Amino acid sequence: MRRLTRRQRTAAIVLAALAMCFITLDLGGGGLAGAHSGVRGAFGSLYRGTDSVLGPVRRFVQGVPTAGSNEATIQKLRHENETLRGHLAQATSEHRTARELARLHALADTGRYKIMPATVQAVGSGGGFDWTASLDVGTADGVLVGQSVTDGYGLVGRVLHADSYSCVVLLAADTSSGVGARDLRTRQIGLVSGKGTSGLSFAPLNPNAAVRVGDKLATGPAGTSSYVPGLSIGTVTAVTRGPQGSTAVVRPTVSPTSLDTVGVILLGGHRESGRTPIDPSALAGGR
Amino acid sequence: MTRARVAAALCAILTALLLQGALIGPWTMPVPVSLPAVLVAAVALMDGPGSGMAFGFSIGLIADLGSDHPAGVLALSWLGVGLVCGLAADRNSVRRDAATAAVVCAVASVFTGLVLVAVHADGADLRHSVEWALPVGLGDALLALAVVPAVRAFLRSSSLRAPHPGFELSTGARRG
Repeated sequence: MRRLTRRQRTAAIVLAALAMCFITLDLGGGGLAGAHSGVRGAFGSLYRGTDSVLGPVRRFVQGVPTAGSNEATIQKLRHENETLRGHLAQATSEHRTARELARLHALADTGRYKIMPATVQAVGSGGGFDWTASLDVGTADGVLVGQSVTDGYGLVGRVLHADSYSCVVLLAADTSSGVGARDLRTRQIGLVSGKGTSGLSFAPLNPNAAVRVGDKLATGPAGTSSYVPGLSIGTVTAVTRGPQGSTAVVRPTVSPTSLDTVGVILLGGHRESGRTPIDPSALAGGR
Repeated sequence: MTRARVAAALCAILTALLLQGALIGPWTMPVPVSLPAVLVAAVALMDGPGSGMAFGFSIGLIADLGSDHPAGVLALSWLGVGLVCGLAADRNSVRRDAATAAVVCAVASVFTGLVLVAVHADGADLRHSVEWALPVGLGDALLALAVVPAVRAFLRSSSLRAPHPGFELSTGARRG
């Protein structure tokens, strides 16, 4: 065991007294506050600088004891994440459906007619037409052939064929489709024909009718159209004038490729006629 | 005290405090294992009480100024570590020196807790300091097993070896 020399003893006492002075000074009135903040700032910069090197090492070592349990936690969190994403997608779809149903409800209130909401199950060609849509409602729900179909804003088409629980709708975009329409600005009546993905075209009955870009078209008044009157068809985007009269290109209100929830307006229409038997006397040449 | 020793001491202080803050502290939390205290003990066990006290006071004061508690607490505590370990310096084996460093640092940790409670420092708890004394001792012993040989190797090098008082040869003129 060593012994302290006199100088070392004196130094120990002086340093201990100095430490006590520092404690008293710091407790008393914050005389060393500047020194504290200076050293803290210097070390803070050094810590930040060395963290890029020491940080990964520290985190690796800290993660080793829980590595096994972390894997199970990660799997559980991944599963929960996927479930929540599914719920979110479903909620988004349900919100959209709710908005579409609200539109149909508003139209029913405005027009004072019954609307049967339906979901589009398929869009494609059918029944000899290129642009048709299959809906999940039929005669059991009151749907009849010829009834108008809307999305709450504008015209979708008309019921072409109705079974008990499903129906086929001829879309307005079909090239064989013709819709009696009215120019809302000039009140001129004309015919809107489908042009597939190119939109619609409008030919006014009066060849001298002044159709302009921006004119809005709606289904014609009762008697001039088999559709429910007042349903928005589209907006004129271009007008060509020829010797036969004006022809307008129309941007449809409803896009035929983005149909989801639509409504069948339960007004008018008729049941599909059944098959009629062949008269044997006609085939047999009047026997 | 040569310039090389002063520079080496400054570098050692800086390195020990950085490693304590960036690695040792987060790894050993909540056990307050202290690399700077073990370093002071290792230097004192090699170089004696004089170097130990000076080194312990300096590193303690810098650590105090970089913390929230009053300056002087760690300076006093590690001054004591340097003093006690310096008195026990006797060219022992690494394991014996590591054990000495561990015991002294654990006691110093309890002493520091006591002083912090006395000065009403935030978060100071004497019960925790006493409870953690044994884990601190074990942690410091493990650190000391690495630090003591390293410090010995450094302080034995020719540039850092403690200067001894030289013998002055009298070369006065002969009488007669």
